[in-house]
Amino acid sequence: MSDASTLSAEPLVIWLLAPYIAAFVVALLPACSAPLILLCSLTTALLGAWTLREGSRLELQLLQEYGVSLSLDPLAGWFLLLLGLVALAVWIEARRQGWDRSGWLLLLVLLGALNTSFLTTDLISLYVSLEVVAISAFLLILRGATANADWIALRYLLVSNTAMGLYLIGAALVYAQSGSFRFEALAALPPGAPLALVLVGLLTKSGVFLNGLWLPRTHAEAPAEVSALLSGLVVSAGALPLLRLEQLNDAITGLVAPIGLASAALGLIYALSVNDAKRLLAWSTMAQMGLVLLTPAAGGVMAFSHGLAKAGLFLTARHWPGRSLHDWHERPLAWSLQLPLWLGALSIAALPPLLGFSAKKQLLSVLNPGLSWLLLLLAIGSVAIYARLCQAPWRWSPQPPLCWGALLLTLPLLISGLVVVAGRPDAPALLQSLLVLALGVLLHLGRGRLNSGSGLDLPQLDRLSDLLGGLGVVGAGLLVAMAGGSQSLFTDGGG
Amino acid sequence: MAAIRLLELLILLAALAGFAGLLLRRNLFLKLLAMDVTGSAVVALFVLFAARSGLRSPILSRLADPDALGQASAELADPIPQAVILTAIVIGLSIQALLLVVITQLARIDPSLDVSGFEPPERP
Repeated sequence: MSDASTLSAEPLVIWLLAPYIAAFVVALLPACSAPLILLCSLTTALLGAWTLREGSRLELQLLQEYGVSLSLDPLAGWFLLLLGLVALAVWIEARRQGWDRSGWLLLLVLLGALNTSFLTTDLISLYVSLEVVAISAFLLILRGATANADWIALRYLLVSNTAMGLYLIGAALVYAQSGSFRFEALAALPPGAPLALVLVGLLTKSGVFLNGLWLPRTHAEAPAEVSALLSGLVVSAGALPLLRLEQLNDAITGLVAPIGLASAALGLIYALSVNDAKRLLAWSTMAQMGLVLLTPAAGGVMAFSHGLAKAGLFLTARHWPGRSLHDWHERPLAWSLQLPLWLGALSIAALPPLLGFSAKKQLLSVLNPGLSWLLLLLAIGSVAIYARLCQAPWRWSPQPPLCWGALLLTLPLLISGLVVVAGRPDAPALLQSLLVLALGVLLHLGRGRLNSGSGLDLPQLDRLSDLLGGLGVVGAGLLVAMAGGSQSLFTDGGG
Repeated sequence: MAAIRLLELLILLAALAGFAGLLLRRNLFLKLLAMDVTGSAVVALFVLFAARSGLRSPILSRLADPDALGQASAELADPIPQAVILTAIVIGLSIQALLLVVITQLARIDPSLDVSGFEPPERP
């Protein structure tokens, strides 16, 4: 791959356009779908891996000053690698479900739009690619082909388009004040209405806190392969631009990090109380995306390990005997499903030697030490969540339903995690995670006792008016926080 | 300059009215129209920002004398926001069309299109 070190503009642009061209070819000639999807997802994964290994940076400005600005850096490398792997795994599983040409077309368009949104560093190109992501995700949700799928998809596009309308107002204000649409121009402005509006749009896209209340039901009701795409990839299209903005200005980290922590807490509480396994995974996505946004220094690896594990977990959902968690411990699961389920669950619960453990360790090392006890509490909560999924008995049948896609996603978690942990063994961190595991299992047992007595009655937060109200509340909250100018805990950490 | 301030305020009020309609209307179709009001306000805002430097279309061949370009360019509209919003109009239109198709589907279940009829009854 040494010749790739002379990466220049033309191959990158061809690579960005290739999925769209492939999508049209596939629509006309469905027989070509396999090589084209393989080519597009493998080149994306290879480009991501290459960027990470070389640690290289490439800044491009197409079509002069007001054109498209692209940036390929290690942060984007994590997301590209994730995108390539998840697209590949979803393709493997969707082939067995007999997707037709419209499904392949949507998968390729989604891949192309995500490629663009991961590289772009100006507000307008980002707007366009996020809208293409939203439209293709909307059409993929509609593949559920039920009345409920119609309603969920409609809700998703309505909320996302409203948020992007606010984002556009923010972009217009940025242009009016600084004469440019680039991220740098936004980050250089004093905090105010433009920043708040752009943040509301991006937070909604990444499914965080009150802006992300659309997420649990949408991810839970979609077909299994689509849920994997939504939870693994689509939310990170909003997270990467937020991380880039945080990189540019510490004050933005000070605004976004508290929302991330609140999101982690909200997602955890609801994931502990729901009784539907897919809904549990979806609420946990909201919690993990909050953790991704805490700091740009660890955000890439956090998003990568979470995306792999969550997409793998959702891919196994197709083969579950049922979704209710009440009798989850009575229905045995074949070992071929238990393996990816356990690997994914343990990785998100940040237990060694999986990759999630290393990611969480990196997050703790760059974060303000005052916050680490809060993160430990959250870690205990996520152990308790995933303990609920791991209580199904194992079944050793000779002809199990194999889920190659989920294995493709979760085995790298184990292998790369083993490599990292074996390379740098760290006894205190291992002990700490054992303690967290013990406390988490205790919390899980206590929760079971509590729930069997009186059910926890949390308010239902995902009606349409709640979703839209969430946008207004967070937007107003951001403006108040900016006016107060209070950045106490979050900005003075190392990072 | 005061006129532009006033227009800016009116446009932001329109965007706010659209958002309020989206929150308060119970009919799904009216919600969609409210979203369109917000979208139109965004378009108007971009056009207004483009007109801050001048009202003439920024087309060079129409200018009579190339030497007079310097003084004439002071009255030209800014082409960047106009170009940008053209893309956004197209995207907005296609999203509107997609949502209307789904609403037509949903109208077969509940012709009154009341939002509460589609909300699932169970707990989170």
